[in-house]
This record gives sequence, C-alpha cells and structure tokens, in this order.
Amino acid sequence: MDMRTDEIMARRTRRQRNLAIVGTVLFGLVVWSVDVTVVQDTDWARIGSVGEVLEAAGQFGGVDFSLFPDLLGPTIETLLIACLGTALGVILCVPATWFGAMNITPFKPVTYPIARLMMTLSRSVHEIVWALFFVAVFGLGAMAGVFAIAMRSIGFIAKMSAEAIEDIDYGPVEAMRATGANGFQVMLFAILPQVLPQVIGTVIFEWEINIRRSAVLGLVGAGGLGLVFFRQMNTFNYYGVTSVIIAILAIIFLGEAISHAIRRRMI
Amino acid sequence: MSSSNASHAAQAPAVPKRWSRYKHPESLYSYGTWLIAFSVVVFSIEYLNIPLDRLLGMFGRMGEVIAQRYYPPDIDYVMERDYLGYVVETIQMAYLGALFGLLITVPLAWFAAYNMTPSRRFVYPVARLFSMSCRAVHETIWAILFVSILGYGMLPGVLALTLFSAGFAAKLFAEEIEAIDMGPVEAMRATGANLFQVMVFGVFPQVRVAFTGIAIYTWDVAFRAATVVGFFGAGGMGWYLKRSVLQIETERVAAIILSIIVLVLISEILSAWARNTVMKMK
Repeated sequence: MDMRTDEIMARRTRRQRNLAIVGTVLFGLVVWSVDVTVVQDTDWARIGSVGEVLEAAGQFGGVDFSLFPDLLGPTIETLLIACLGTALGVILCVPATWFGAMNITPFKPVTYPIARLMMTLSRSVHEIVWALFFVAVFGLGAMAGVFAIAMRSIGFIAKMSAEAIEDIDYGPVEAMRATGANGFQVMLFAILPQVLPQVIGTVIFEWEINIRRSAVLGLVGAGGLGLVFFRQMNTFNYYGVTSVIIAILAIIFLGEAISHAIRRRMI
Repeated sequence: MSSSNASHAAQAPAVPKRWSRYKHPESLYSYGTWLIAFSVVVFSIEYLNIPLDRLLGMFGRMGEVIAQRYYPPDIDYVMERDYLGYVVETIQMAYLGALFGLLITVPLAWFAAYNMTPSRRFVYPVARLFSMSCRAVHETIWAILFVSILGYGMLPGVLALTLFSAGFAAKLFAEEIEAIDMGPVEAMRATGANLFQVMVFGVFPQVRVAFTGIAIYTWDVAFRAATVVGFFGAGGMGWYLKRSVLQIETERVAAIILSIIVLVLISEILSAWARNTVMKMK
C-alpha cells in the first residue's frame, strides 16, 4: 500500500515538474517573442497615439456603394474559380487517394510514400505561393487561380478520402471479387459507394474554404475579387476596400449556407 | 418445380437487361446531377476565359519553367544568417499570433457554444458572427489591412494571425464544448454555482485535452499562414519571398519555397508528436 502511494505521489510530482518546465519554457518564449516582434520591431513613432491609430482604422469606416455594380463580375469569377478549382482538385486527388489508402495501394513500398509526399506537398505550400508559381507558368488570369486552388485542395481531400477507404467494410469487396470483378469494377461498385457520403462531405467543406482562398488569389494576379481589392488599396479608395470585403463576406456566407444545407440533406 | 421455372422463363424478357447501379427514378437524378455539374464546368470555363488549348502544352511548359528558371535553387541564400533570423521571426510571429488568438478563443468559444452560452438571444449570435467573420476574411487580407493601419513590421502580422487563429480555433473549440456531457454542468447548476464557476469546474475539465490538441494544431496552421503574411509587408520570411519575386531572382524564390516546405514539414511532425503525447497523458 505504502509502495503504491509513494509511486503515485512520485508520478504526480514528476508530472507537476514536467508541466512547470513546459510552462516556464512557453512563457519565456512569449516574453522573448513579444520583445522582438512588438517592442523592438515596431515603429512606434509611425503608429503614433491611440487616436491616430483609430483615425487610420476609421478610413475604412464607410462603404463605397458606387463600386457594387462593378463587383458583380469579379464576385462571380471568384465563386467559379473556387468551383472549378475544387472540381479539378477532386480529379487530381484520385491517384493520390488510390495510392495513399494503405489497403488498396497497388505497390506499398513505392506508391504509398509517393501519395504521402503529394499530400504533404500540396498542404504545406500556401495558396499564394501556388498562385505565384502558376502565374509564372500560365500567365495572369483565372487559369492560374484554378490550378492553385486545385493543387492546394489535393492534400486535404486525398487525406480524408484515404482514411475513409482504410475504414471500409470488406464484405462487398470480397463478394465482388468472388463473382470475378476486376480491380476497377471493385473500386467503382464496392469501395466508392461506401465512402461516397464522407468524400462528398469533405469536398463540400473544402469548397467552402476554397471560396475564401480564391478571394485573395487576385492579389498575385490570378483574377477575382483579390484583384479589385488590390486596385482599391493601391488607389487609396478605402471605402472601396470595405465594399470588397463586404462582397467577400457575402459569398462566403452564401457558401456556408449552401454547404450547411447540402450536408444536412445528406445526413 | 418445372412449372415455376417455366413461369419465370415466360416472365423474363427475351433480351436479358443489363445491370445498372441506379433504377429508373434514381438514374434520372443521377444523370441530372451529372448534367448540371457538366454545364457548370462548361459555363465557368467560358466565363473565366480559360484557354483550354494551353492545357495540352501545360506539362511541357511547367517542366520548362522549373528547369530553366527555378532550377537549381539557390540553397546558399537560405542558409545565410539574415534569412535564418527571419525564419526565427516568422516562428515567433506564428507563436504569438496563435497564443493571442487562443486567449481570445476561450471566451469566444464559450459564448459561441449553443449549450453553454450566457444568452442565446444576444451573446450567441454576436459571438458566432465574430468568429465567422474572423474565419471568412483570409489571413492575407487581415495582414494588408493591419499593415495599412499600423505600417510595415511584425506587429500587424501578429495581429492578423491573432484574428486568423481566433476564428479557426473558436469554431473547433465551440464544437467541442457543444459535445460535452451535461451531467456535471447540471449538477453544478443545481448546487447554485454561477456561470463562471460552471465553466471552470464543470466544462473545462471535460474539454481540457481536446483544447490542448486544438491549440497545438492552431499553432501549426498559424505557422503555415505566417510564412506568407510577410508577402504583404507584415514581416518574416514572406517579405524575403516578395523581394525575390519582385527582383525576378527565381532561383532564390525556389530556395525560399523549398525552405518553407521543409519548415512546414518539421512543424507538422512536431505538432503530430505533441498531440499524440497530450492524448496519451489523458
């Protein structure tokens, strides 16, 4: 009894000590980071007093209503870039999903790492960087945006779909194999129906995020609302900037409403 | 036996019907969905003026661009002291942004969780709207806005990441709070505990582990965002990226992008390890 109490007490003190160490390190990092980023790096003279900051922020406190008719085109463009990008992403993620699901990957030692690499590469490069790259390849325009969105979507969709495939029920697969179905037929009629609801849910979720992403791709020349935002900012039309942000919020809330409706109908 | 066989043979059509996955009404819906999807795609390609003929030469052109301009990456450039200093600054920015965002998240998620919110009619919609707006506006737009208000530097980057992390974590955390077991909460309410006490002793112990996991994940995501907020003047590696892009030093751009990928991979591995450790401690 005593032994056990001692052991538990020892474990508890060890745990408390570990927590204390982690806490001290994290707090030290906070102090150091605040010192470097906020205290040293900031040009306090440029910022001035609180009143001046509020004044600078107040420049955005209005809406340029005359801009709204011109926003309609770019808004639709942004929405369509997101749709096309997601669709292309779904097509591109088929091989990544196939290779990346542990149980159906054709040749595990080679194809599985390839798929993991594709997924990680897609997720670790930010959409702005993808857009820069595709603008260099395709030139300015919506096409670069579509490809940037597609590349960025692969990772998440493929990862979630591959995880769904790893959890399937093998009954239908074996039944179909027993009737002599080939690999493609097994995939289409035994695996796909089982994971379809989950995959559609993931795709819709990603589409919702992609609307947000496509709204900024114009900043680096890939079309849509970002381009208008950039132009308003550079011409110091701050009320116009607010209008663009309102348009962005509008399509994002629209996307959220649509995705909510679809997901509720599916469940 | 033979009579039933005969009747079956009489009912069966002369040509055996091909099996198809969807029967009559469903097949109609299925074809309709495909038709709508196809027309949306065609319409968008039309509307966005996408030159499909360029798609064919795409891989050749991509290989050409990479081989001629981006290869070989200028690795020495990213190994310089200056650049490494900027990497450290990016990490600090992401750390602070995620931390401040998480500090905002705790009350925000409490107000935005339907089962625990102090007032469903007033506080809940406001908190939901706030967290949704934080999430809806992309981190680069926050960065641009803060840069135009506060000037260049890391402070606007930290603030942009704060809002970004708050929006991101508040949704996940609110969902976590909505999924708790209400037993302890009701027991505490019955003993006369106030809102704050219920939160601290009834709710937090249940979501503590999940919250730690979300916090680590938020840091990971914030770091990814931090690598580009500098592109719009908010400090860190993004600023280097922007400079190299504007100077058309493509080999440096390639090196910087490679360094970003490596750093994100490291942070992803670290965050996965940390989350596993936290889950084990549970």
